[in-house]
Amino acid sequence: MSEQTTQYKPSITIADQQAAAGKGAREFMMDVRTTDLEVNMGPQHPATHGVMRILIRADGELVTGAQPHLGYLHRCAEKIGENVEWLQYLPYTDRYDYLSSMNNNLGYSLAVEKLLGIEIPRRASMIRTICVELNRIASHLVAFGTYGLDLGAFTPFLYCFREREWLLMLFEKICGARLTYSYLRIGGVFNDAPPGWLEEVEQFCDVFDEKWVEYRDLLMMNHIFIKRTADIGVITPEQALDFGLTGPMLRGSGIDWDLRRDMPYMLYDEIWKAGVYQIPLGSGAQGVLGDCWDRVYVRVQEMVESIKIVRWCLANIEPGPTIAELPKVLRVPPGEAYVGIENPRGELGHYLVSDGGKVAVRCRVRGPSFCNLPILEDIMPHTFLADSVAIIGSTDVVIGETDR
Amino acid sequence: MDFQGIYDRLRAAKAPGLLDCDLPRAGDPADKKDQGRAGDAFVLVDPAHWADFFRTCKQDERLGFEQLIDLSATDPAKDDENFWVNVQLLSLKHKHRLAVKALLPKDPGRIATLARVYRAAQWHERECAEMFGITFEGHPDPRNILLPDDWAGSPLRKDYEFPKEYHGISCE
Repeated sequence: MSEQTTQYKPSITIADQQAAAGKGAREFMMDVRTTDLEVNMGPQHPATHGVMRILIRADGELVTGAQPHLGYLHRCAEKIGENVEWLQYLPYTDRYDYLSSMNNNLGYSLAVEKLLGIEIPRRASMIRTICVELNRIASHLVAFGTYGLDLGAFTPFLYCFREREWLLMLFEKICGARLTYSYLRIGGVFNDAPPGWLEEVEQFCDVFDEKWVEYRDLLMMNHIFIKRTADIGVITPEQALDFGLTGPMLRGSGIDWDLRRDMPYMLYDEIWKAGVYQIPLGSGAQGVLGDCWDRVYVRVQEMVESIKIVRWCLANIEPGPTIAELPKVLRVPPGEAYVGIENPRGELGHYLVSDGGKVAVRCRVRGPSFCNLPILEDIMPHTFLADSVAIIGSTDVVIGETDR
Repeated sequence: MDFQGIYDRLRAAKAPGLLDCDLPRAGDPADKKDQGRAGDAFVLVDPAHWADFFRTCKQDERLGFEQLIDLSATDPAKDDENFWVNVQLLSLKHKHRLAVKALLPKDPGRIATLARVYRAAQWHERECAEMFGITFEGHPDPRNILLPDDWAGSPLRKDYEFPKEYHGISCE
């Protein structure tokens, strides 16, 4: 046999990983010769949830290497943060992870408030918690619905978007925008909830509690869905820690960690001590611990935990001011602070440096999608090409945040 | 552990390259120019012992920093001689964080990679390298991550000048 394929030069270079390095031709079944083929998945591929390109090297049906290529949506958010005033940067935070803008607003506001050292009125914290948890549900609904869509289940997607539409309508009522809210401001929230809004949220909770059971059974317990996700894309707890995974990706591997409970901010400590919510963990119920099914099921369970937090807030909210007194042009005292909060996708961190002026010296954003993505380089090799969509979808990546 | 406990433990464990710590302090009310320093405490580390310091942080039982949450750099001012390299560590077991900072001279701007200590550092270092022009020695995959491969300049430096055009596309 001639070595006609030895000239093949792989453009994927993955160091430290012998198994994924191209070995060229392989011989199967006497004289059937297969060779590695590079397939571009994306940038315009429906299953990459945005404009991400994954260069997959496949030997027949077997994936031998995968490399995400980012940057198609890079908007220099960190550079903008060094050029606009503290309050003016808030709308840019909406645009990293556009499915959970309330959470992004909160992360930035908490970081600036830490530098300012100000107290937030209790009613503002309550409304913040309600909005953030509702946004977590909306975000998980998209994750859950589109994951079904990726795997060929069209119906759950429609139901999920129906409920999400209701949530977006509630957000529109409170702040006027459907996706880019800029509602949680430095010092509190922009304005008080309109009359009747809290009752509408309660109605949503009542309906969602019933529907949630149906959605769970419709997709998560579906035999085909289980076959396509269980035992696929397994992330071991050691890998999850080494790669710095956070959020449902970490909890899907059975590691009990949630910033809301373990490093509480706002009112979460009080809510946890009242025994309101639980932290769902992956258990390997349908396959191996840390597989795609576990990660998705953690998200599904988190939705109903968020509903419990919202209900607690609705029961305990009291009238009062909704924003702290702040000057029009904000000057932040010199110093540096890092604040990490639990976003739907993991830990959203803001590292801010101030020199006492009107503009930040450094505005670093640690996006959970960006940090949860490199695991693909490790878990995708030695899987089947048909499973790659299931694995990518289970990371629940939002490209706005990886590229920022 | 609180910050002081972590710092004392680092001292007791003789963590390589540990220089000092910086605590937030209130300003002096008599002196209007002294506003103090707000925010978090951090430890300062010698860039020459960068990777060894993090090995100690990870392996020491009582520190137990299993996760590297963030790695980035800061260019404090145009005429400053140093970058800051900032790292956020997290211990899930002990529920504490640590902010680490190294002052890295802009020329030559070389520091050891942490990708062999924490795999999470690999992508953060790629981003940091292209944004600041810092070289991470021994990095397994030193390509650009967010910027195109042919991008000139390091955008997050304070002395960066915005390009007038890119491949014939006017940027003005």
